[in-house]
Amino acid sequence: MPARATTIAFDVMGSDHGPAEVVRGAAALSLEAPHVHALLVGDGQQIDQVLSETRHNGERISVHHAPDFVGMQEKPSEALGRTPNASVLVAARLVADGEADAVVSAGNTGAGVLACARTFRLIPGVRRAALASVYPTRTGHGTKQDPFSLILDVGATVDATAEDLVTFAVMGSAYARIISKNQHPSVALLSNGTEATKGPPRVVEAHARLARHPDIRFVGNVEGVDIPKGTADVICCDGYVGNVCLKMLEGVAETVVELANYAYHSALRWRVGLAMLSNGLKQLKDVTDWQQYGGAPVLGFDRLFIKAHGRSKAFAIANAGKVAAKAVSSDLAQVIREGLVPVNT
Amino acid sequence: MALPDRIDPRPPRRIYRWDLDKTYLQTEFDTFAQLVRTALQKASEKQAVPGAAALIRELRDKGDSRLCIISGSPTQMRTVLEAKLKLDGVEWDELVLKDNVRNLLRGRFRALRGQVGYKLPVLLESRIRAPVEAEEVLFGDDAEADAFIYSLYADLISGRVDEAVLGQVLEAAQVYPDDRARIFAAWRAIPRADPVRRIFIHLDRLTPPAYFARYGPRVVPIFNYFQAALVLLADGELTAAQVARVAVEMVQTAGHNLLTLSNSFQDLVRRGLPIQAVAAPLLQALEGALQGPDAVLQAFRPLPDIVKAFTRRLAALGAPPPPPEPRTIDYLSVLDDARPRTHRARKRP
Repeated sequence: MPARATTIAFDVMGSDHGPAEVVRGAAALSLEAPHVHALLVGDGQQIDQVLSETRHNGERISVHHAPDFVGMQEKPSEALGRTPNASVLVAARLVADGEADAVVSAGNTGAGVLACARTFRLIPGVRRAALASVYPTRTGHGTKQDPFSLILDVGATVDATAEDLVTFAVMGSAYARIISKNQHPSVALLSNGTEATKGPPRVVEAHARLARHPDIRFVGNVEGVDIPKGTADVICCDGYVGNVCLKMLEGVAETVVELANYAYHSALRWRVGLAMLSNGLKQLKDVTDWQQYGGAPVLGFDRLFIKAHGRSKAFAIANAGKVAAKAVSSDLAQVIREGLVPVNT
Repeated sequence: MALPDRIDPRPPRRIYRWDLDKTYLQTEFDTFAQLVRTALQKASEKQAVPGAAALIRELRDKGDSRLCIISGSPTQMRTVLEAKLKLDGVEWDELVLKDNVRNLLRGRFRALRGQVGYKLPVLLESRIRAPVEAEEVLFGDDAEADAFIYSLYADLISGRVDEAVLGQVLEAAQVYPDDRARIFAAWRAIPRADPVRRIFIHLDRLTPPAYFARYGPRVVPIFNYFQAALVLLADGELTAAQVARVAVEMVQTAGHNLLTLSNSFQDLVRRGLPIQAVAAPLLQALEGALQGPDAVLQAFRPLPDIVKAFTRRLAALGAPPPPPEPRTIDYLSVLDDARPRTHRARKRP
């Protein structure tokens, strides 16, 4: 059966690399995926300038002019209040109106989440949305053996209740089933100990409720050390904890690179050693390259929003578009709805 | 009054010149295996580019036009190519194929792949036989040197290119002396006129449209023949009903839909082609064209959706860009386009 035609609205503005990389990513997608149409939202003139010089399929791309955008450093609520025609908000409105099926944005994360909250509706049974993020792990996951796990929430809901954590588990599990082709993803709660009684009351209560959930393969609590090990396919926590963890993982990775750089310049034998390891390191980098994954979803709304990394290049943007199209064609919102039935009854 | 024994056909007011491979036919011959497969294909196995046959039929509908096909396919394929054109209901006046066996026997190996030395003399010699007032629309693709050759042809007969530049171009394109002599002889025999209205380049290789800006606004890169039909509608060459029939064929035979057609429309507007005015009559014509019981057409309905899709795509643009400025082509600066395409020689984005 041919794949369902899907239109992805790309918020072209506001990423670290400006409109060019997002337009090139959408152009690449138009060449690779015949069933995916790209609706580029942003400054029409800038988009056309890049598009006309980039190999693309004009039958699968259209442009929606949006004159404003939210910068990375801007405060989301203020910026969106000041610029009602900001590209991210226009893209979300186009999805809400049925012009497109999902949004991909590499711009300001807060503005993206806020645009969703203002434009989309929460799935019945979901009280608060969650921003999910993929991170590299030691072990592979699902039939694709993805070297990534999913952690949510990483910033959308700062103080989640037990009910929210259970909802996050359902949403993360549904997402892993669809995107990683992992039929029975293991789900864990992030806590300060593996025992069921460890953690704040909301985590303890969520543990009890998840243990009874018939459709979730709940593996209990995991600690911070388990995140990079890949002990669970999906890890749930509140947005405050998740964001701290994510930033720490990024910080550790950057520090390792800096240390290697320091070692490379410090002594000849270290330089030789690193040179000998370079092939292996490159392979490791390729395997765990976040650009393969493209982006992370905001889960809980009736429409999909994929947040690509602000530093995303064309390759990552195209992959984010593919992830969005896959989630749409698999009807992620419906899968989440069905997963929430046991929670709500 | 007695009727004459023979009624000569009316002299053509329009001449449509078409390339075949990758312009009219979906042909792959980048590898040896593809080349062999193409050579062995039967007429019924050959696929026309969606909308191409319908567009030709509509262009020929007025009866005062001439269809001249010039192809780099070998003469040995004449039977199968003619059969394919007949299958598609396409009637032609000239079908020129390349005699590569003769080139081989004479040791003219450069001519096997050379485009300028083959197409330019054929085009010029054909023009000698045309009425001075006959206007032309040319169709090629981005796989070889069509934009270059067609533009050079147009500028030669209009007198915008002089003998010195032509000589340098032929030198750079490594054209054989006898072909060179044919080109000069034919050129001198053609009365000066400016008949070439449009040159459509089918983007088979999806070359970025901006690449062809060097050839000025006369050259219009197109992703499909709905786009060509839209421009010809704006130029007054086709009616809205005829464009609608091209669109319907693309929907019926190639899986096109509202999105691809409205995106194609918007793409042209974004490139500064003045086609907004044709939206309203086109939508009206589509209403008529989509009245059939065909299941595919049913899927294309309802009309309000079509109107909405087109108008939304147009409204979404903000202010459309100004049309591109006419420009004089500096053939010596784009000489690389005239060389035969090899895996290394041509570097396109």
